[in-house]
Order: sequence, then C-alpha cells, then structure tokens
Amino acid sequence: MKENYFLAKWLNKELTDEELTNYVSSKDILAYKKIIATSNNLQTPKFDAENVLNTIKINSHKQKVRKLRFNFAYKVAAAVAIIASSFYFISTKSTVYSTKFAEKTNFILPDQSKVELNADSKISFKEKNWDTHRNLKLKGEAYFSVKKGSKFTVNTKLGSVSVLGTKFNVIVRGNYFQVTCYRGLVSVSYKNKTIKVPAGTSFKAENNIAEKTFAIENALPSWIQNFSTFKSMPYHFVIEELQRQYKIKIEYNSELANTLFTGTFTHTNLNLALKAVTVPLNLTFKTISDHKVRFVSE
Amino acid sequence: MSDKKENEFCDEKKFSSFFLNHSTLLFNYIFYKCGNTDLSNDIVQDAFIKFWKNCSKILPNRAKSFLFTIANNLFLNEYAKSTVILNYKNIPKKDYTNESPEFILEEKEFEMKLQTAISNLSEAQRIAFLMNRIDGKKYKEIAEILGISIKAVEKRIHNALVNLRKEIDTL
Repeated sequence: MKENYFLAKWLNKELTDEELTNYVSSKDILAYKKIIATSNNLQTPKFDAENVLNTIKINSHKQKVRKLRFNFAYKVAAAVAIIASSFYFISTKSTVYSTKFAEKTNFILPDQSKVELNADSKISFKEKNWDTHRNLKLKGEAYFSVKKGSKFTVNTKLGSVSVLGTKFNVIVRGNYFQVTCYRGLVSVSYKNKTIKVPAGTSFKAENNIAEKTFAIENALPSWIQNFSTFKSMPYHFVIEELQRQYKIKIEYNSELANTLFTGTFTHTNLNLALKAVTVPLNLTFKTISDHKVRFVSE
Repeated sequence: MSDKKENEFCDEKKFSSFFLNHSTLLFNYIFYKCGNTDLSNDIVQDAFIKFWKNCSKILPNRAKSFLFTIANNLFLNEYAKSTVILNYKNIPKKDYTNESPEFILEEKEFEMKLQTAISNLSEAQRIAFLMNRIDGKKYKEIAEILGISIKAVEKRIHNALVNLRKEIDTL
C-alpha cells in the first residue's frame, strides 16, 4: 500500500482544506495552519554572501597553482642558454686590481709577471687565455716586470705599450702619458705611431706633445722605493702626486701650476715631503686640518 | 588545462553567479543542521573553495548536489551540533491594533513553542520542512539537493508537521 503524506500534499496546495478533512479534524487543520503561518515568519541568521565570496576569491587565488609545462625543446633551449651565458660570463670575467689614495699594491699575473701598482690606479685584465693574450688595461701608474713569452700589451686611454719581456713603468694621469723602460725594449704606440723605447730611456707625452727623453739612472721607478722623482715636471703634476700618496688636499696658487719642478719627495714622511716640494719654490705650508694643507708664498 | 576552460564553473564570473544563487540556501542548510552561524559560514566558504578547485570535474546538472554533498561532508568532519534557534522576522507594527495584549502574549508564547519544537525535530525533517518554509523550495528541488526521492521529501515534511503539532501541544 502506498503511503499518503496528506499533510505534505496539503501544504503543497495539492489538497484543499475540504479534502484534508477526510484525514484530520477541522481543529487539527487550524492548528496546522497556525504552525505554518508562524513558521513563515521564521528566518535564519543573516548570511553575507558578497563578503564570503570575496574571502573565497582571495583564498582561492592564493591556492590556485598553475603548473608550468614546457616541452622538451624549450627545456633544452633553456639549458643551453643558461650554460652558454654562464660560460660567457665566466670566460670574459675581468680581474681587477685597484688602489685608492695613499695606497700601493703589487701582484703577480697568471704568467708570473709582476706588477706594482701606485696610488689611485687600476688594472683590469681577463685571466682566460692569459698565456696567449697578455692584454691589460691601466689607469694611473704601474711598474711591470714581464716574463718572456707572447706579446704583452698595456692598453691605456692615451696609447698602448707592447713588450715581449722586460721591465717598464707606465704613467697615465690626466693628459700625461709616460713610459719608462728599465730593461729590454718597449714598443709604445701613440697616436698611430710606434715608438721604440730601449732600456734606460723614457717616452713621455703631455697635452699631445710627445718627446723621447734622457737616460734614467735608477734600476727601478723611484715610487717603488717610496719616493717620487720629478725632472722638469709641471708643478701641478707634483702636487697631484703628493695628494695621491698622502691622501691630502693641497691648496696652492694656481699661477704656479705649470712651473717646472725637479726634485724628489718621500712617501713615508708628510712633513719632509711637504718641505721638499715647497722650499725650492720659496713657499711655506700651513696645515689647515688632517687632510688639508695650504701653500703660501713667503 | 583545455578541459578546464570548457567547464563553465571555472570561469570566475560564472562561479560568482553560481555562488550568489546558491550560497544562502547552502548556508541555511548547514544552519538547519547545526544552528551555529559561524560554523555555517565557515562550511559555506570551505565548500565553495573545494567546489572551485574541482570546477573542471563538475557536470553542470550535478553541480548543485555536488556542492551540497561537499558541504555535508565538511559538516560531518566538523560535527558540533547545537540547538537550532531561528529568529522571527520583525513584522512592522501596525499603527493601530485590534489585538488584545493577551492575544499578543499568546502569539509570543506560540512562537517560542514552535522554535523549541523545530529544534527537537529530527535533522532530516527539520531540513526538509525549513527549506520549504524559509527558503521556499519546492519538494522536487529539495529532493534534488538532498539526493532523495520526492516521496521521501513529502514523508519528511508530513512527519515534521505531525511532530510539531504533538510537540507544541505537550509544551
């Protein structure tokens, strides 16, 4: 026998009130009507759909993980690109040595050639293939003691110096370019000309005027022995070197800048050095602060 | 990936409209079970997140029952039943009233009794009855959501009314 859920049918308007009286008393019907009427006023707590949706969106965005899929060709291409570029960077990486004011250093190149680097100078070169391509860049002043081997080239912004094996000093300061050879033979290329500089001589160029000069007496550049020696050098050049060696600032009469100076100062005693560069020009010096000195005429 | 695109529920706009159409009913459904607003909110949120994650697997005509099944499973995992207490709407007061204070008091009393009776119903009866009364769902729709026959829905509602009547009389 099929069950008859007359109350459900009646609630769903499938049965009329009269038809319902076949099942229940009219008193019951009133009671049910009251239940239904009262239950129509029921409500659930407020549900804030928009707010929950926003929370869901934020959460699901956090949780949404997309897999990256690359086909094999892309993987190979990426691997090759990474290997190639890292190889490129490693192989062309430059080694740099530099000095600040009042600082000197020396180091040995991969072929055992020695380099002495004066204050405020910089050398960079590539270690890769050093034995066959001995090229380096220089800013400032350095003394090279080169082992015999392939062509050794020092590139500077004013010219380049090539040797096969020798000892030489290179200065590149502002517009001043000087190459001094202490042993062997040095080839200097300056403004498309090649000049041979034999041992004991010096090549210098300042403000585009080149000259090949006198024999030098010393076996080593003086700065390596903690002296700076100048022969007929403009005074500003001397002052600049003094500033470099002692990390000081010097104020002086600019009229003296191009006065030629011949002399030597030490790198180890500031007081002596200051006297050495002031006395010949009838100047005295006043110490203004730790790093500042003023030269005045007597 | 490609099958995901084809499914409408993976589209954010479609998902949002699906959410707005069904979230209140889902919230009420869980609330009828547990009577706990916070828990109901949490379950709605978790159920829709799960729904969204599985959007590519959902068949359009099964989406709603899938959603309610997820929510039901989440509810069972976190079962914490408290008494279901429903509020009555604040019906705007008439400017004048013919109702005597006794009548109003009786009404209030009856409302309280009905609340208690509803919370004493079995879960199955309460859900069917309230989905019909509060959410205004047809028996067919309730049957779909609960995954039962229309006959079974009628039985639950019929018994709910019988039980409510008995319960109110004894209170």
